[in-house]
Amino acid sequence: MDKSINCGVARRMANEMEKNNVKVGDYIVIQRQNYTKLHKVTLKGIVMLGKDQLELGPIIGRPVWKTYKMIPKKNGKRVFVLKECDNYESLAEQLKKDVSCGSDNRNIFDDGRSQLLSTEEIVSLRTSGMSGQAIVGQLIENSKTFRDKTEYSQEKYLKKKEKKYFEYITIRWPTIRLITEVMYRTDPLKIMGLRMDTLSQILTIVGIHTHGTYMVYESGCQGLVAAAMLNNINIGGQLVHIHPGNLPQKQAILAMNYDNDKMSCLISVNIYSLLRKLQENSASDENNVEVNKKESVINESFLSESESDNKAIKNEENSSNDVIDTKENVITEKGSGSGRLVCDSLKKDDKEFVEEKEITLNVVHERKRKHSDPGESMSKKPRWELETEKAADFLRPSKADGLVIISREHPSNILTALLPYVAPSRPFIIFCPYREPLLEIYIQLKRKNNTVGLRVTETWLRSHQILPSRTHPDILMSGSGGYLLTGIVVECSTSTNTQESGSSLQ
Amino acid sequence: MSFDKFKDTIEQGDTVILYLNVNSMHAIQVQPKIKNKKDEWVENVFQTTYGALKVQSLVGKKFGTKVALSRGWAYVLHPTPELWTLTLPHRTQIIYTPDISMIIFQLEIRPGSVVVESGTGSGSLSHALIRCIKPQGHLYTFDFHEYRVSVAREEFETHGIGQYVSVKQQDVCQDGFGTELNGKADALFLDLPHPWEAVPHAAAVIKDLGKLNQTYRFEGQSNDFLTVEGLPKELSVKMIWRDVYTNSLFTNF
Repeated sequence: MDKSINCGVARRMANEMEKNNVKVGDYIVIQRQNYTKLHKVTLKGIVMLGKDQLELGPIIGRPVWKTYKMIPKKNGKRVFVLKECDNYESLAEQLKKDVSCGSDNRNIFDDGRSQLLSTEEIVSLRTSGMSGQAIVGQLIENSKTFRDKTEYSQEKYLKKKEKKYFEYITIRWPTIRLITEVMYRTDPLKIMGLRMDTLSQILTIVGIHTHGTYMVYESGCQGLVAAAMLNNINIGGQLVHIHPGNLPQKQAILAMNYDNDKMSCLISVNIYSLLRKLQENSASDENNVEVNKKESVINESFLSESESDNKAIKNEENSSNDVIDTKENVITEKGSGSGRLVCDSLKKDDKEFVEEKEITLNVVHERKRKHSDPGESMSKKPRWELETEKAADFLRPSKADGLVIISREHPSNILTALLPYVAPSRPFIIFCPYREPLLEIYIQLKRKNNTVGLRVTETWLRSHQILPSRTHPDILMSGSGGYLLTGIVVECSTSTNTQESGSSLQ
Repeated sequence: MSFDKFKDTIEQGDTVILYLNVNSMHAIQVQPKIKNKKDEWVENVFQTTYGALKVQSLVGKKFGTKVALSRGWAYVLHPTPELWTLTLPHRTQIIYTPDISMIIFQLEIRPGSVVVESGTGSGSLSHALIRCIKPQGHLYTFDFHEYRVSVAREEFETHGIGQYVSVKQQDVCQDGFGTELNGKADALFLDLPHPWEAVPHAAAVIKDLGKLNQTYRFEGQSNDFLTVEGLPKELSVKMIWRDVYTNSLFTNF
């Protein structure tokens, strides 16, 4: 089924991966009707789908998008093996055909006794290995009221039974859309209530070009935003994934089965290390005549705030210790050695950092200069430090084309720390499950002159049921998908504007 | 060049977004002369409520900086599909960023995708789609209105993205999308008065695992259907502060 392209356009990378065969170690999405579940394929894979246990052996080596029938192992428990099949039959179609229906429900009395089969009998039908269609057929036959129901009511009943007895699953390749759906439905708090429409807006507003450099600070979102942004970046572009603690949350990134090329565009760095690296090199550069004047101006201002910022960052890290429920080892203040990746130079940083809180700004400068002596850089650098340097190298000369912040912590000081590294006329966007922090930041940003186009928005999303004569909005609706603060970075004008300008009211 | 890559300095021929305030922005073409209503070439001077701007003076200025107007100032911003959506000349009702985001998200469009769109309208969605799929993807967009097709084509060229898009005048409900596109599209989007008429043609064009999106409220993909409506709500933020000791009122927004 290989269709070659003659339209004069280059190769198409998009759906190549969807023609993949399932390998051990891949993540896949198992779908049963509307229920989807993310699963990592293992050799003797067994997965629980609700109360049913499925043995996933047959899917390995087969292409995705195959449908499998769940065939019960007749041992009395709800364990199933899979058999590939071409498509599934819908119960509703099959069973509705031969049954007459009523016109309305005036004579239907719901006394809970319409079903003649008892619970035990139904359960035994199920464990006996009878097919789903046969079981539902039995239920209909033994129902006193089924024939009196209206056509719509019968359909609804069958759909409900189908959901319970549906015995086909489809294997799908994960996409951002699917993963977002799975995560939001399973546990929205794990992704801070980031609903798909809000995520889609983040991705569009930050405006990802395949060859741009983008920063994302993410804490508490399972790596979903980083995975989504990485989706649109190719070789030539970079995504600097900034996180608190030693290890980023990567669940969603892993789930996307990104290949090595794609993963090479991703640099994960700890925020504290990154900022230190960006600061420290420019502090030593201050003595260097060739340094870019503008850069040092910006870094100067950062340094002058650095004491309060570092305090703030430290506080942020401490609070993130409490809030983030992960097994990561976070850099602790005393360097207590609980961090696996804590190495000598970092421990030294931490100890000196504790002292720094009592020291004035001048000493901060001195300490920074101490760090740039050559002896230290001669020793073999650990991986995290190399990654941090790589990230700093991207951000220092030409800054990022966009910034996304999605954090459990209050975003204010994170924004202040990272905004200087966004190029002028580029967007930044902050997500927060609550509106209050964004309102505070809005007011703060309005006072400075380094951003324009500030907007705080929330989206209202409602889904609809579309059926003939039964189209209406769904009864349940999500209350909130979180709030967004968006804006565009501009160059701070250094000259004071003496003219009274109408636009200065903004 | 304008929409294809970011650059630092404004050059002749660029599209620039003149930002006055969050609700007032204008797209300007940087060229020395411009045609007025009488079809005469006159000096390109842009008038705003804060004064006039000699557009030629923008050449050499950096994006993201302030420029002086005769009675005030404004910022010049780099064009993006989002800013273009807010400033483009409407030839039809357009789709705005919240819906555009949802469409791109649901259609799973990514770099390299081949996307088919009808109708082109004013090109609001098209700009966002192109940004998403370039440099290796391609957008095939159709509209049955001759003038709109030619304006759209011209705009894509001026914006430096003409290589990533093909605009064609065609009534897709009657005549389909053209057999050369059969089985090529990763994603297809319909925003038409009667989209159901185009669906059979759409089915031929979409690849085995492609996606179909209709009037941004439907999604069809084998058996997966989703209908949503979204409404963005913008919050207006104001701080009103009364100093009780001096009895003065400060407002900060």
